[in-house]
Amino acid sequence: MRSSPPGAGDGVIAPRERPSNLTGASDQDVVTRAKQGDEAAYRELLRRYERPVFALLYRMVRDRALAEDLAQDTFVKILNGLRSYRPEFKFSSWVFKIANNAAIDHLRRRAVDTISLHGSPDAVTPERIAATTLDLPDRRETPLEEVEARELGSAIERAIGRLRPEYRSCILLRHVEGHSYDEISQMLDLPLGTVKTYIHRARNELRDYLEDRRNETRRAGGA
Amino acid sequence: MKPAGPEGRKKNTMHAPHLTPDEIVLWAEGLLPAARALHLSDCPDCLATAERERVFFLQLARLEQLAPSPGFAERVMGQVKIPTPSGGFKMTE
Repeated sequence: MRSSPPGAGDGVIAPRERPSNLTGASDQDVVTRAKQGDEAAYRELLRRYERPVFALLYRMVRDRALAEDLAQDTFVKILNGLRSYRPEFKFSSWVFKIANNAAIDHLRRRAVDTISLHGSPDAVTPERIAATTLDLPDRRETPLEEVEARELGSAIERAIGRLRPEYRSCILLRHVEGHSYDEISQMLDLPLGTVKTYIHRARNELRDYLEDRRNETRRAGGA
Repeated sequence: MKPAGPEGRKKNTMHAPHLTPDEIVLWAEGLLPAARALHLSDCPDCLATAERERVFFLQLARLEQLAPSPGFAERVMGQVKIPTPSGGFKMTE
């Protein structure tokens, strides 16, 4: 293949424009290339962040199909909104901020829509509880649910799933994604002290839950 | 993790004070200054607590790498508008 300088406009993809040659470039450089209309740069940004963003969303909402929908919306928003990205911030912080907002917005909407399966919270008599209780048919897990149970089924994943969403975001961004407290503070629009408190509480809750699980296992083994 | 520090443990009078919970976290993250980390070589209590914390952090860092289903990138790229030199946009092919 003929070598050609980038942007020569002769239809030949110059070596510099191939995705593999963006691999070592900084996020900022790749964003600059994307803003110039380089499709390979868009694909490179997606390649870098699709797994961590999906993983964060999946662990936040604990539903694979929903996490994919939210991840798709997140990336479309990011890639179509590169002009609004301010380069004085880390690109990864901007990406995770948008992803986390998507998850939190969804969880808040779901909380509003949630109906108790065990009767209205206002029901005080057995008759009223029975009248407001939903009966759902017993059913087997779908194949997708089986995959989810396998993926998020370890004790620590279950423990993470029990945390408040705000704690969950903080602990995942700190210990799974490896962001600094300052970055998390920027991403979540929370004061630094609040981020530290949330992470501290989240760790304590995780440890307590895992300790309880270990004790239960020991008791069951000894019985 | 049991709280580090003097409560619930014998006072360590001969050596440096016990590590605080914050210092235990710093050690587990590899950020505790060496001078304070030296205390761990003298104190089995702090060492046990710190080691538990390190294993816990390792468990979190080693959570399974989760990936979206095949075709995810193409579904996203199908909705991305790429700027053209003329000031317009093109969709990916």
